[in-house]
Amino acid sequence: MLHLLDVRCKFLMMCLVSMSMLSAQVFACFFYFLVLLFFFKKTGLNIFATLNSIKYFILFLFFIFAARALALKGDSLFSFYGLSVTKQGLNDGFLVAFRFFLVMLTGLLFSSTTKPSSVKSAVQWFLKPVPFVPEKRVAVMISLSLSFMPVILKQAKEVSEAQKARCGDLQKNPIKRIIRLVLPLLKKTFLSADYLVLAMESRCYSDDRTDPEFTPSGKEFFFFAGSVVLSLSLVCL
Amino acid sequence: MNNSKQLKMTVYTSLFVAFIAIGAFISIPIGPVPIVLQNMFVLLAAIILGPVWGLACVAIYLLIGLAGLPVFAGGTSGIGKLFGPTGGYLLGYLPCVFVTAGISKGLGKKMSSDIIAMVIGSLIIYAAGVPWLKVVTAMTYGKALAVGMYPFLIGDVLKIIAAAFIAKTLRPVIKL
Repeated sequence: MLHLLDVRCKFLMMCLVSMSMLSAQVFACFFYFLVLLFFFKKTGLNIFATLNSIKYFILFLFFIFAARALALKGDSLFSFYGLSVTKQGLNDGFLVAFRFFLVMLTGLLFSSTTKPSSVKSAVQWFLKPVPFVPEKRVAVMISLSLSFMPVILKQAKEVSEAQKARCGDLQKNPIKRIIRLVLPLLKKTFLSADYLVLAMESRCYSDDRTDPEFTPSGKEFFFFAGSVVLSLSLVCL
Repeated sequence: MNNSKQLKMTVYTSLFVAFIAIGAFISIPIGPVPIVLQNMFVLLAAIILGPVWGLACVAIYLLIGLAGLPVFAGGTSGIGKLFGPTGGYLLGYLPCVFVTAGISKGLGKKMSSDIIAMVIGSLIIYAAGVPWLKVVTAMTYGKALAVGMYPFLIGDVLKIIAAAFIAKTLRPVIKL
């Protein structure tokens, strides 16, 4: 259902709901959490696997919660070593952490139901009215950097294994270790980038390219109206 | 700027975007806190690409993350991360890259000027990141500094020195 939705519509929905989350109250947050759970169920995503992939972020949220609970002044619930946990602090910390958690889940839902290439074309479409930004070149750069990432990771692994084979991991000097990992990596990838430039030039690359096509599934209006109602109710509740 | 040069810069800039995104995952285990190379790549992008393309590089990185592709630290993305507790560091990359590249260009591309530029650039990242962290978590400045700046300083010094060497060796190879 979400997979087939037009990516531009999905992107707008995500922005709208995320923005309205930032001013939502506890009840609205729980309500939205239920809505999100419904969509996770519908799209067939495993919520536990998803939570596992953002476990460090959740750890960070606990940290925010603790910091808020300790820092805010109010009616003290209990105290130790001069630090007092306040009621206002607990409420506030919970609310802030919960909001971030939900915005994060929304983003995850978006990125797991959307192909990177369609994200790229959506970005290009949204940048079109912005002046002084060559949206086509930006789109090309996005897809280039996406395709560079696995290449760099592979070469980083190669370089670090080559270093290990030469006992490079016994080197104690951290500066030398950074240099010996990064320098070969940069040199290698820049050389392959040079070949890419040549290849693109010889194929007469120019910024003047065909625009990407979008295939709306026909339910966009329904979903968009739904998300407008949802975000309005999140703000008002 | 002719077409060929522009194409070259386009490809190099997207290469650095990929490096910044990957930099969050490549870490070198030294001591208790592993050194993450992301901000080193931001600084390198600044001093190698120059102000305009460097700024474009970081802007595209943030744009990709904002648009929901998993390029931020820990494979995360989206508005939640950009406006979350550590968002200040990410947004701080923008002024950092511009100022670093400007200083490095203005002082002439020497190793000493690179180091000065990168030190100032790193300070800009913290100047954006630490107050942001303070506002989001409602900590005092002392605590925010202790959590969000002091543990990384030693690593930053090492990274800046390494980056200066790397930039010196890389410039003749890239020939911009």
